Amino acid sequence: MTEEKKGADPKLVVAVQMLSIGIILLILGLVVLFVSPLRSMDHFVRLTFLISEASIIIVGLAFAIGGGIRYKRAKRA
Amino acid sequence: MNSDFIIIGLYLVLMFVAGLFFSRNIKSTADYFLAARSAPWFWIMGAIWATNIGFLHGYLAHGGAAYEWGLIQANFEWFQGPFGYILSGLFFIAFYWRAGVYTVPQFLERRYGSALSLIYNLAWIVIFVVTIAAEFYLGGIFLKNLLHIPFWPTVLVLAAVVGTYTLLGGLGAAIMMEFVQFIIMMLGTMPLLFILLHMVGGFAGIKDVLIGQWGVSPQYFTVLPDIHHPYGPGPWIILGQCLVITLGWCAGHQSMVQRNLGARSLYDAKFGYVAAAIPKTLGAFLYIVPMIAAPIIFASNGIFVERADASYGKLIMNLLPSGMLGLFIAGLLSAGLSSISSVLNSTSTMMVKDIYERYLVKGRGDHHYFIAGRVATFAVIALSLLIVPIVLKVYLIMWLEQTLLAMVLGPFMGILMLAIFWRRANAAGSLVGFITGAVFAVLLQQVFGVNIFFEISWWSFVVTSIVTVAVTLLTAKPRPEQLDGLTWESDFRAKLGQILEERAVKNGAKIGEVPKPVVRRPPWYLNIKYWATAILLVQVALLLFFG
Repeated sequence: MTEEKKGADPKLVVAVQMLSIGIILLILGLVVLFVSPLRSMDHFVRLTFLISEASIIIVGLAFAIGGGIRYKRAKRA
Repeated sequence: MNSDFIIIGLYLVLMFVAGLFFSRNIKSTADYFLAARSAPWFWIMGAIWATNIGFLHGYLAHGGAAYEWGLIQANFEWFQGPFGYILSGLFFIAFYWRAGVYTVPQFLERRYGSALSLIYNLAWIVIFVVTIAAEFYLGGIFLKNLLHIPFWPTVLVLAAVVGTYTLLGGLGAAIMMEFVQFIIMMLGTMPLLFILLHMVGGFAGIKDVLIGQWGVSPQYFTVLPDIHHPYGPGPWIILGQCLVITLGWCAGHQSMVQRNLGARSLYDAKFGYVAAAIPKTLGAFLYIVPMIAAPIIFASNGIFVERADASYGKLIMNLLPSGMLGLFIAGLLSAGLSSISSVLNSTSTMMVKDIYERYLVKGRGDHHYFIAGRVATFAVIALSLLIVPIVLKVYLIMWLEQTLLAMVLGPFMGILMLAIFWRRANAAGSLVGFITGAVFAVLLQQVFGVNIFFEISWWSFVVTSIVTVAVTLLTAKPRPEQLDGLTWESDFRAKLGQILEERAVKNGAKIGEVPKPVVRRPPWYLNIKYWATAILLVQVALLLFFG
């Protein structure tokens, strides 16, 4: 095996991954919610849809915030 | 329908852009092939599961089989998969990790020499290229049937998206996207289960209609059926499928193993693999249980399903409102794309690390192999797209994939078990054993007409093991460097030495001049063994409940 070149900072890699995942989920969750015809849905379908959407948005938000904080820290270091 | 197109388009654009953004951080081969060895356990968990779910294995094929054959299809999710994940996580991964390798063939080379490693490598590259082509084909056909969009432009768009982020970002980008895909599949497609159960009156309602009113056999609701079941006889599921194919898949499939090798520590690699058994178990509620209820929905709405593997698409098209449908299609695309990206990345890793760097161009700088990795990724995409027109029939694809897997996984498990548990196993024995086992698998299928895939794998495993032992005993012992850290015995001795040393230090003994690094033990609630036990108990409960 050849000697490996000095690579990326693992903490920065994870921070970028978290941030990207958070932003993708957040945008996707919000857009799906925005473009879906909620009023025309059956009551039970709407309920499950909203729970599912809320979960995606919450996970996205958590990753975006966590990733943002980690990204700042990793950049500073 | 327009909103569904917006959602699908947006999803593909977001993946494309995120892949470009991430790729700026990738600078070396370790970054590219092993994600800078940075992945925490939850990344591994999501990536392992998403890798395992594709168009071939998951919503379309497994869902279709569940629609046709019933709950037996859940044995992948409730029995074999978790068993394979947990055993690989607790046991096999540590050997790859400690060997410091990038690929499974590199481990085989260290233990058994280069000939076997090269054969194993080439066999997997062929399987992987066929798999990618099959995934592209199924993805194109699925979207064509569902949304009535042309086949080739769809396939090319999928290839451009998945190719760009995997080519530029390597394993790190693949794992990142797989986690997004894991969340979308888990949270986005789970509502179907509740909607269906609400419509048919729960699981008891499904049984009442299918068994009570339609006279369907109770075997339709059995996870492990008796030996006469035409689709999957129970004993062969346990022997051939669980102990050989699934375990071989989990411990020897480069895509699965590579995700663990990208972990930031051995603990994360092991825990990630064990924890992946949780989404694996839940997977049955995404595409198996809903498809058990599907016949009732189809009958009550007068929907005709011409082929089982089209049933999942028909179900969501007829049941889900606009918007929700778009999210579901994004979830199904996730399954296919995650599978393609993982296999793509693994194929390029094997091509560069095991063939290009090992045999063709030796001793060049790291940057050279980093670029070679990207070129190899592009070449694999191009080659897969070229063979898409050849794999025109789903049955041909499944036949080809299953034949190749039967040829490789049975013999692989034979030589891997002997490599780890038997110090005496050597290069000559394993090479002859592997080739004999692979040829035997083909003979069983082609000459003797055995068509139960699990049975072929089991007997090829047995033949490989016997031949390997026999030839090994007639040839020379392996060299010490072929055993160090690569067998269970050396691992056990190292652990015993560590335990004795820790005890001695506790008792006040001074060992050496340099202080030993402090091993951080995880809190009890993140103890791998507790989680593994809990997950296995859930499997037992599910099997007891569903039979």
